[in-house]
Amino acid sequence: MPRSSDASPAIEIRDLGIRYNLRLTRRNTLKQSLVGMVRHEGVETEFWAVRNLSFDVMNGDNLALIGPNGAGKTTILLALAGILSPTEGEVRLYGKSSTLLTIGAGFDGDLTGRDNIALAGAFLGIPHAVMADLAPQIIEFADIGPFIDAPLRTYSTGMRARLGFSIATSITPDILLLDEVLGTGDQNFKAKSQARIRELVTTAKAVIVVTHDLGYVTENCNRAILVEKGSIIHDGDPSETVEIYRQRVKERKLILESEAHRFAGPPPGR
Amino acid sequence: MTAPPAEMQPSIVHVPSRRRGPAKLVVEGLAEVLSRQRLIRYMIGANLKRTHTDTALGQLWWVLDPLFLMGIYVVLVQIIFNVGTPDYPLFIFAAILPWKWFSIALGTAAGSVTAREGLIRQVQFPKLVLPVAAVGSATINFAISLIALALMYVLFLDRISPWLLAIPLIAVVQFVFSLAVAIALAAVNTFYRDVQNLLGHVVRLWFYASPGLWSFRDHLQDSPELRTILQLNPMAPILESYRNVIYGATDGSGGLPPDFIGLGWVLLASIMFVTIAIVLFKRMEPAFAKVV
Repeated sequence: MPRSSDASPAIEIRDLGIRYNLRLTRRNTLKQSLVGMVRHEGVETEFWAVRNLSFDVMNGDNLALIGPNGAGKTTILLALAGILSPTEGEVRLYGKSSTLLTIGAGFDGDLTGRDNIALAGAFLGIPHAVMADLAPQIIEFADIGPFIDAPLRTYSTGMRARLGFSIATSITPDILLLDEVLGTGDQNFKAKSQARIRELVTTAKAVIVVTHDLGYVTENCNRAILVEKGSIIHDGDPSETVEIYRQRVKERKLILESEAHRFAGPPPGR
Repeated sequence: MTAPPAEMQPSIVHVPSRRRGPAKLVVEGLAEVLSRQRLIRYMIGANLKRTHTDTALGQLWWVLDPLFLMGIYVVLVQIIFNVGTPDYPLFIFAAILPWKWFSIALGTAAGSVTAREGLIRQVQFPKLVLPVAAVGSATINFAISLIALALMYVLFLDRISPWLLAIPLIAVVQFVFSLAVAIALAAVNTFYRDVQNLLGHVVRLWFYASPGLWSFRDHLQDSPELRTILQLNPMAPILESYRNVIYGATDGSGGLPPDFIGLGWVLLASIMFVTIAIVLFKRMEPAFAKVV
């Protein structure tokens, strides 16, 4: 759904750089780190997921970030959400943002559905009164019946997902950040949840979606940015950006194939 | 870089954390904890609901646990080693309760950030609430376990003294000290998960090095150096104070006042430690989402 874009910015990203320190990963133990420090492995231990990135998202934009795996799309989204703080540069948001990332992470299996709604609201920083007002709608949309007062560990995977989705979509943000277009649960709920996403997309002032679903991009977005290795390759019309992306994927495939040939030696029969 | 028009100010700006000084980080950390009191309350409530709900005796274990632990030490020290002071069960009980609080607080706080790693990559919230809630739950746990102390006095009626009313005061000092250690551990454990593994052993050794099963009055008279070193332990005046008010004089002649001077020093140092721990935590916080 293309929308008219007015001039005021919703997000300004200036010289954004996010660096990961590869020495400090979850798999590292004290021993490995000490060894690393002794060897002064300072160069290869840093990785810039994105760097020198600048762009504006305008009010009215429905922007898709596309690109290969590991290009830095999700890192950008996490930085916009404030979950990753910039190593360099800054991100300025004009309005309330909310993320719809993978859902249900904050759930506590020993609490009831109702308690989990309150807990999730508290984690999201939603005022208690607002959350109390939203709770009936959330419960109704999740459609889990009397289970709402049972501990979450008794829920099926589908029920958990439905509750998570209902909580995550219960507030309408100015700036909506989506990691993959979500469709959860059975066919029935999938339709319902997609309708809810569409509703959020229309009410939000700006939408940024990270996705691999190129069909969604050309159908729903009015702008697309192709990201590779943490930099912008192309920024513009969705069908144009998607075309460039497809072209580059094809080229890379050809290069890989020719390299594979080289390594495999000359084709047999010569 | 184009500046936005004057009337359009961004509502949120994300900048690198190193641009903020230590004083700002402390103020920010305190503000985060104060503004998220409800979240902390919910998390404490969830922790309390969770512990022991899957056991037959349920929350009764909060009272039974310290009693069993005391039983083990009595058998070990009084019966096998054949040492110990008069009314030894109460003597060590005065240390077991607060130490249990201390070790649970540190143990749960150390893993508090890593336990929520899924959430940390999905929601932006002040991570400082995690160790604070862990210490908070342990504190409630301690308050409830005082019921066990009341049960103990059924056997040692003549050791009840008005100084017992000073327990909350000693507890405040212990709370501030625990908070400092807890916050620092939670941050460091996110990067070095060895901390959590090591912690149990360190805390146990720390207990034996603290005047819990023994006292400075009765032991280490002939090794002044060791005595001096062990007295630098912030938990030493805390445990001695608990024993003064709970157990009193060895001969049973009545309760004793807590070590006010020692507690004062520990409180002062702990406030400083908390400040340092918050700065440390806030400095490391931006990297949590990258590591977990």
